[in-house]
Formats: sequence, structure tokens, C-alpha cells
Amino acid sequence: MSTPEDILRLKQLKETEPIQQAWDDWVSTREALRETTLLLDDPDLRSMASEDHEMLLQSLTEIVKTTFPTILVPPSRTEHMSALMELKSGVGGSEASLFLGDMLRMYLRAAQISRWKANIVSSNNLDTGGVKDAVVEFKGPGAYDALQWESGVHRVQRVPATEQSGRVHTSTVAVVVLPLIEESEAQKEELYSMDDVKVEVMRSRGAGGQHVNKTESAVRLTHIPSGITVAMQDERSQHQNKRRAFSILASRLMEAKLTREMEARRASRRNLVKSADRSDKIRTYNYAQERVTDHRIGLSVKNLTSVMEGEAIQDILSALRRDYEESQMEDLLAE
Amino acid sequence: MTLSTLVSQLGKRQFALEYQWMKRAVSPILPLREMLERRVAGEPLQYILGEQPFGPLSIKLRSPVLIPRPETEDWAIRLAERLASRPHTRPLSMLDLGTGTGCIPLLICSLLPPGSVQATGIDISEEAVKLATENAALCSPSGNTFRAVRASFLDPLFPHPNLGVHPPFDIVTSNPPYISWHEYTQLSRSVTDYEDPRALFGGPDGLDFYHAIAALATGKRSKSRKYFDRLLK
Repeated sequence: MSTPEDILRLKQLKETEPIQQAWDDWVSTREALRETTLLLDDPDLRSMASEDHEMLLQSLTEIVKTTFPTILVPPSRTEHMSALMELKSGVGGSEASLFLGDMLRMYLRAAQISRWKANIVSSNNLDTGGVKDAVVEFKGPGAYDALQWESGVHRVQRVPATEQSGRVHTSTVAVVVLPLIEESEAQKEELYSMDDVKVEVMRSRGAGGQHVNKTESAVRLTHIPSGITVAMQDERSQHQNKRRAFSILASRLMEAKLTREMEARRASRRNLVKSADRSDKIRTYNYAQERVTDHRIGLSVKNLTSVMEGEAIQDILSALRRDYEESQMEDLLAE
Repeated sequence: MTLSTLVSQLGKRQFALEYQWMKRAVSPILPLREMLERRVAGEPLQYILGEQPFGPLSIKLRSPVLIPRPETEDWAIRLAERLASRPHTRPLSMLDLGTGTGCIPLLICSLLPPGSVQATGIDISEEAVKLATENAALCSPSGNTFRAVRASFLDPLFPHPNLGVHPPFDIVTSNPPYISWHEYTQLSRSVTDYEDPRALFGGPDGLDFYHAIAALATGKRSKSRKYFDRLLK
């Protein structure tokens, strides 16, 4: 008969099997590499040995770069979460709005590739072709994990389509990515209680009800303990505005919770930080040089077109993710 | 020309909102230009777009049937939540007085489990009954029933036996006309020019229909108790 302690120990043993396996692989591969290196000095065996040497080196590198990180990095707290992305045009007027439209297309294509379900919740489309602001849901596991580092100011340097003199302009788009929280999840995470939320609805100045048939149904929520307010008027009914407002409140509270947890764990200075300074430029898209540079990890990608097509952006997202995971491992070591 | 007039009528923010909604509703039979022109003329946006979100439903609209109000949406949802929170051993019967688009009973039907509600809505307006019936088909209340019947509940003989309206009912709801004569003269033209006065005007002091409802509910309506059971259980 197994006791609960036995079962727990068995579970732990089972969980550490992959680590044991990986470590054994590492030790045996390293040993084999050492032996092969010795053989390189022998002129008769050198050619054969160098082939083996190459292969073993590759295996070793693979174990270090891929297998260990996958096992050692703790599973993401948010790996199942979907994402809520808000894009707002910043500096640059209509050109910023045009670029926002381009970014929107980029993310929608990236979503297709990653098999997330993208849903444009609201968008302010200008008649001149740009998008002034937009809110998009990306539904699917891993969406938040992948997109969370897109929060910040994206800067574009290019000659606007409308520009006659061929002068390069710099415009910006501000992006905020929040976790998209289902109602059941909001309750489970204990993000808020209804008693703490003040709900204000649009009231007409005089009598309401049958006296007026205006379409204004704005709602404002105030989460009293945190002071977070959410105002929503994009939808045509009070009920819809309330629902969206509560959803955004849950997202903001979850983001705040995650940031607190991240801050608490942070030991390494090198960590990717989600800047509280909303004006931090995280990435520059330079059309003349066909290059996209992410300033946080110093990564430059030479194929801007591929980025905007939603493909090469994946490389940037993966690099950001890897950087974050590496710093998580550093935290682990520092503990 | 139309655009700037509309912007000054509505204000920038409201215009921006309505413009987005209009653009989303564009169709071959409803071009943007027409929507803007009708809106500038003062027609309520809800009639132009032809539908209004009401709780989780989309209620079809047609002038002059009264446009569902946000206050009504709010209490109808609360009522549905209260009803849903208690277990019921048999389907509840519901009567909606002055049903208009049918939005109140349809909302309750859609928010309660299938088979838990059987609702009837009455309205004096032929157009309302027709529209409510269309909405019933569109909303298909999934196992709960709703039908609209033409009748006036100011009529001392309401409910006539041949209406198929059989008291007593578990629930009686109403958003009856409650605007007084004086108030009616002060209303904005977007209301008075487009929405049915019969849905708004509640008599000199606005309370005619409340008196009627109270009388129906307590059975004090008629000398002859033979025709009137208490309307409510």
C-alpha cells in the first residue's frame, strides 16, 4: 500500500525523469566528445574523428540551447492565456494611422500563422485609409505569452505615401497587450469583487427612459481598491459596454497582478522589463534600410517586408521569448 | 455638407461613434449616404440601422414601434437573473403589457433555461404585434415560447376570453407609456416625430396605464368577478 508521501515522491521522481535523462545525455555526449578530440591528433583517424566530433558538438549544443532550457524554465504562468491588444496612433497624424493599419495587418497575419483566432473588437477607420486606433483579441494558447512584449511604442521611419517631397517622416504607434481573461478565470484569480467596483452609467441631464432615444450608453467602472477606471462607450447598448468594460478591468487587474509577481521574482538586472514609461520606444521599423530593430534585445532583422507580412515578426517574438526565458533561468540560479 | 451638419448636431465624439456604427451597417440596400441624410433629418439612429442590441439579443426595429431603452434593458436583465437563481418545478407564465418590439419577454426567454418560460405580449398597435412576432422568429427563444397578441389593457374587458390570454400569470411585466401631456410637449423631435405616441403618452398625468395595471393585478377592475380573476397568482 502506498502512502501519500510515497505517491508524492513517485510523482517527483517521474517529473525529474526528463532532467535526469537530459543530464545523462549531456554527460555521455561530453565524454564521447572528449574521446573524439583526442583522436583528432591521430593522422590516420583524423577524418573519421572530425566527422564524429562535428556531430557530437552539434548534439551538445542542442542539449544546452534547447533541451535544458525547455526542462529547466518553469512552465509559463500564462501559457494558456489569450491576448487583448490595443493599438493607438501616436505622433505623426495620418501617417501614424496608416502605419497602424500596416501593423494591424502584420499581427493578423502572424495570428493566422500561429493559429490564433483574431477578432477586431473595435477599430476607428479613417476615410483616408488609416486606422486611428483598434482593439484586437487574439484567442488561443500562447497568444499572450508571444505578444506580451509588443507593449510599448513602435516607431516607423519612412516616406509617407502622401508625401510629395520624398522626405522621411518618423511616426509612432503605441501598443498595449493585456491578458484576455474569461469570466470564470477572473473569479478564480480573485481579481476583483463586485462590491469593490463602482458602476456609473450615462444619465441624461433631464428625464431619461421614454423621454429620450439617444444612443449614448457609456459606462464607467471604478475599481475602488486600485483606483483603476475603465470607460467604455464604443458599443451600442449599456449591456455591451458594461460587459466590455468588465472584461478590460479584469485584463488590467490581471496584468497588474502578473507584473507584481514578475517584480517579486526578479533577481537579474538583464530581465526584459515591461516599461511603466509608456513613451519607451521598443522597436523601430526603418523602411529605407528595410530593417526592423528591437531595442530591448538589440536585435535587427534585415527583412522588413517579411516582418510586415507577419512572418519574420515571429523571429523577433521568439527572440524576445528566449531572452525572457534565459533571464528566468538566471533568476533560478540566483535563488 | 451633410457630414459637417451632422458633426455640429451631434458633437464630434458622438458623431465619431455613430459614423463607425453606420459604416459597419452599410449594405446594398442601405448605403452610407442615405444613412447620413436620414440622420441629419433627425431620424433616430436605431431606426436607420434597423436593430438595437438588447442584452445578448439583437432586436429588430421599425418606426413607430418604441425603441427599447437602456433602463428597460437593465431591469429586464436583473429580473431574468433573479428568476434564474431560483429553481422552478414547472414553466413560468409571463405577460408583458405593451410589448412593443417584444424585447422584454424575448430577453427573459433567452436568459432562462429552455422550457422554463411561456410568455405572451400584448400591444394595441398592429405594427408592434407584427414586429414582435418577427422578433420572436429571429430570436428563437430556444425552448421558451413567446407570442404577441393585439389587445388594449386599458379596455375594461381585458382580457377577452377569445384572446388566448389566460390569467393568472406568474410574472407580469410592463414598460407602459408614462409621459404626461405637459412633458410630451417638451420632448425632442427625434422622439415625437418617429416613435408611436401611443407608446409614450400616459394620459394627463402620465399614470393612466399604471392605474390600469394596478387594477388588473389586484382584480379590482370589474363588478363582475366572473370575467376577472386576479391577473397575478
